[in-house]
Amino acid sequence: MTSTVQLEIPASGAYLAVVRAAATGLAAQLQFTYEEIDDLRIAVDEACTQLLARRGSATTLNVAYHLNDAELRVDVSIEAPDRGDPLARDTFAWQILSAMTDEVREQAEAGRLGLSFRKAGGRG
Amino acid sequence: MTEVPNAGRVHQEPDAAANGATQLNGRSVDRGHAKDLFRRFVETRNPALREELVGLHLPLVEYLARRFRNRGEPLEDLVQVGTIGLLKAIDRFDLEREVEFSTYATPTIVGELKRHFRDKGWAVRVPRRLQELNLSLNKVVAELSQEIGRSPTIAEIATKAHLTEEEVLEGLDTSNAYAVVSLDAPAGGEDAPAVSEHIGAEDEGLEALEYRASLGPLIAGLPERERRILYLRFFGGMTQSQIAARLGISQMHVSRLLNRTLAVLREGLLEDEEIG
Repeated sequence: MTSTVQLEIPASGAYLAVVRAAATGLAAQLQFTYEEIDDLRIAVDEACTQLLARRGSATTLNVAYHLNDAELRVDVSIEAPDRGDPLARDTFAWQILSAMTDEVREQAEAGRLGLSFRKAGGRG
Repeated sequence: MTEVPNAGRVHQEPDAAANGATQLNGRSVDRGHAKDLFRRFVETRNPALREELVGLHLPLVEYLARRFRNRGEPLEDLVQVGTIGLLKAIDRFDLEREVEFSTYATPTIVGELKRHFRDKGWAVRVPRRLQELNLSLNKVVAELSQEIGRSPTIAEIATKAHLTEEEVLEGLDTSNAYAVVSLDAPAGGEDAPAVSEHIGAEDEGLEALEYRASLGPLIAGLPERERRILYLRFFGGMTQSQIAARLGISQMHVSRLLNRTLAVLREGLLEDEEIG
């Protein structure tokens, strides 16, 4: 069974602490280890920062946390008409996201830019 | 905008200001030397010159950091935060400007210190309770990792520390918000035999990264230990614990260094934004 928690925050770096805190709390419930939580926080920060850096006139950032067994999937997206690919794969940001998570994907559809990543916990 | 130590302060804080004052008043800083360093640094972006400039202006950072010392954080940490501001000022300083570097750098350093406190959220002052919580968590996490041979979960930490999970999470939040990068990592001096040992292969990876990500100057400007951690974690596939063991520091220390380094690298991607 998947549970979903959604957050909508102003498109501003000042609110990233809220996104991090929510991720931390949810991961703890999924029995993530301390290090896994730290990795998750880094990934959340990186994904949000990258999208905010491309925010243009967008005013909100949406974050959805999907909890499934011992796995957390985080979808971060922002309104972005005509903005193409969110993130090239040969960037440091992409490298960070890949190293911190089990899978990362970019999504550019329906006027939104998104990054989505999965991370399983409880593996030490 | 700029405050320079005056005689009054010297009397209030004899040790502290004496140091800074002499330097700042130009008695011991050879201005011509500083200018010359800047000129060479602007041309070459040589990290060694940058380091020398940092050393030269450290008294200014120490002086400014002292103004924030009654907020419950160790002065040493504040100096490190201020040094980040100093680095930014050094990188941005334009010799064409007809201002002294100290005048130019002061707002940047103070801004960094203020932001350091503001980043902690609503509380300007770090409550002692959280500092203590953080210290005890540090210890518990290290012990538990040792015992069970992997990183502990929040529930495990809570049980061992006789805290609620909520409290542990609060501590975790605190730990990186309050983290400061260590800029005193030996840069290959006599204290750093371990660091320079296996550098070869890693440096190649770093070069590729710098080239690809156009982060060159930023990454090159990082202290050697921070660069290594960055590489080992993101390219070497090592966990924080493995890196910790390799460098002989704690996992939480690795975590703090990593988080602070990323914050420095992300600098400039987003404006300095405030809630409201």
